[in-house]
Amino acid sequence: MIAATLYLLLALPPLVWAAAVFDRIGTGRGALLAGPLRNGAALLLRPVAPTEAPDRLNRLLAPGWYLALALVGLSVVPLAPGLVASDLSTGLVLWGACEALTVVVVFLHGWSPNAPFPLLGAYRYVAIALPAMLLSMFVLIGAALPAQSLSVGAVVEAQREVWNLVRQPLGLPLFMALGLALTLRGPFDYAGGAELAGGTSAEESGPALAAWRLARAAMLVAFSAMAATAFLGGYLGPVLPGPLWLLLKTLAVMAATVAAGRFFARMPPARMLTLLWVVLLPLSFANLALVGIEVLP
Amino acid sequence: MTDALFLVLSALAVWSGWRVFRVDSMVRASFQLLVSFIAVGLIAVLLAAPYIGIATVFMMAVEMMVMALFMVMFMMNPAGLNPMSMVHQHRFAAITGGTAFAGLVAAVLLSDLPANPVPPEAEAVRDLGRELLGPSMLIFETAGVTLLATMIGAVVLSARSGRYGESDAGSVPPGLTPGGAPAGRRPAQGGGHHDHHWGH
Amino acid sequence: MTITGGIEMTLVSVLIVAAALIGIGLYGALSQQSFVMLMMGLELMLNGAILAIVGFWAFSLGGAPEGQLLAIIVMAVMAVEMAVGFALVVAVYRKRQADMTESLTELRH
Repeated sequence: MIAATLYLLLALPPLVWAAAVFDRIGTGRGALLAGPLRNGAALLLRPVAPTEAPDRLNRLLAPGWYLALALVGLSVVPLAPGLVASDLSTGLVLWGACEALTVVVVFLHGWSPNAPFPLLGAYRYVAIALPAMLLSMFVLIGAALPAQSLSVGAVVEAQREVWNLVRQPLGLPLFMALGLALTLRGPFDYAGGAELAGGTSAEESGPALAAWRLARAAMLVAFSAMAATAFLGGYLGPVLPGPLWLLLKTLAVMAATVAAGRFFARMPPARMLTLLWVVLLPLSFANLALVGIEVLP
Repeated sequence: MTDALFLVLSALAVWSGWRVFRVDSMVRASFQLLVSFIAVGLIAVLLAAPYIGIATVFMMAVEMMVMALFMVMFMMNPAGLNPMSMVHQHRFAAITGGTAFAGLVAAVLLSDLPANPVPPEAEAVRDLGRELLGPSMLIFETAGVTLLATMIGAVVLSARSGRYGESDAGSVPPGLTPGGAPAGRRPAQGGGHHDHHWGH
Repeated sequence: MTITGGIEMTLVSVLIVAAALIGIGLYGALSQQSFVMLMMGLELMLNGAILAIVGFWAFSLGGAPEGQLLAIIVMAVMAVEMAVGFALVVAVYRKRQADMTESLTELRH
């Protein structure tokens, strides 16, 4: 348990850096490898812009909570057989709780500066992210069904024969929608500064913004590790040792998530809501029904 | 260790539960309530009910988020960061709450409580699953049907169009004083398109 | 004497915490003017109820799963309460443009 925590904490900083590098590819900003570090350092030197009558405590703590949720979510991912930081019988439910609390934290991040644009971003984000989270629950139940367990370790072991990606092809694409929502990118980026009406970090600058971006990258790592575990067999694989397989799969999901964020267009919130409730949520029901039929004895 | 954690979590649950009605912003209030729920969920985990505990955290995070949104929708003070106090019959409420607490504590202390703890080797989550989809299937399904009925009822209640015409037809804000003239703006006559009345 | 000053996690202490939550929730439900805050009071009472149920299950049922089942039913009740409550708030707001209990002393309009 302690060993797994240490490995995770050691692996996280390079992975966060890798996430930032992925985000930079193809943006034409150059300095792929050193750029993120340089940007972060520059942000640390800038002052934090004050707003009128903010909720100081939550404004200060929101990036920290975001990071903490990423870490807790990451802690249920098994690195090798039996090597898991928090060995719960209900690991998937804990991951779900982290998803739900992420929505709360992003709302707090937009609400606490007491400024109109971040608040608008926060409302939009909540409206969009709640259905995305809901559908991820059905997808995760689908991943848990063949394992007959809510423990993440059992979900991996149930994929020894065939990965969940093959057994339930709809699962991973639907789960990616959650990944985009959790990490505030692509069609779900109602919280970034590029959104027309500001976004939750519109008022942030300096170290607070650096911390928020760091936490966002850490959440991308946590999501990718979870997706790799639930659908791509986690640490399972031939020849190479388990943790290395998990690392490779995590990097692949990270790259795919960043690419999906670039590929899919941003939509007006109302149309996005229709897409989520009317198309994607029924698809996740269909996925669950298919899995149910499949695991029938 | 468990006892110390229990003490901290229960203090947090009660304190943040109390703060819900003391903070001056409704968004803060709903997140204080969320903190209280999270503390209770973690106590449930300590009590060897991991599924109930973590599911409480999960459910309540969503519920309180929705609650905060509703708060802000119906408030005169959208960001919810300006101080306000909306309390009535304060004395009566405080006395009733105190009496309920005292009565329940007396009942707890005076009654002969059974002692038959969960055996350490019990698989609480597996047992719960077997119970839900085994002997108690009917109860579980009834809860499901109840939730479905709730969804339909909620949509019917909150929809603007209805059997007896538009639900906000002839809507008039309440008077500033009892029986006084309506506060705020009158809704547009004739209906048609919907507009918002932030007329507080 | 332990670091907690002799307080242990027993059925009695869990039930006292639950009683405190129920008392505070009752106070809130009776004293708040806004519907949404009133519902928060009800939620806090149900929070206490869940704690009491889980406490009873953990200390006195010998691991029988029916106790946890009851907690799940209470959670479903909470969801129902929230959904119907908010639907009523929306309906009342449409009709009266108000979300305060005082503005609803008459049922007719």
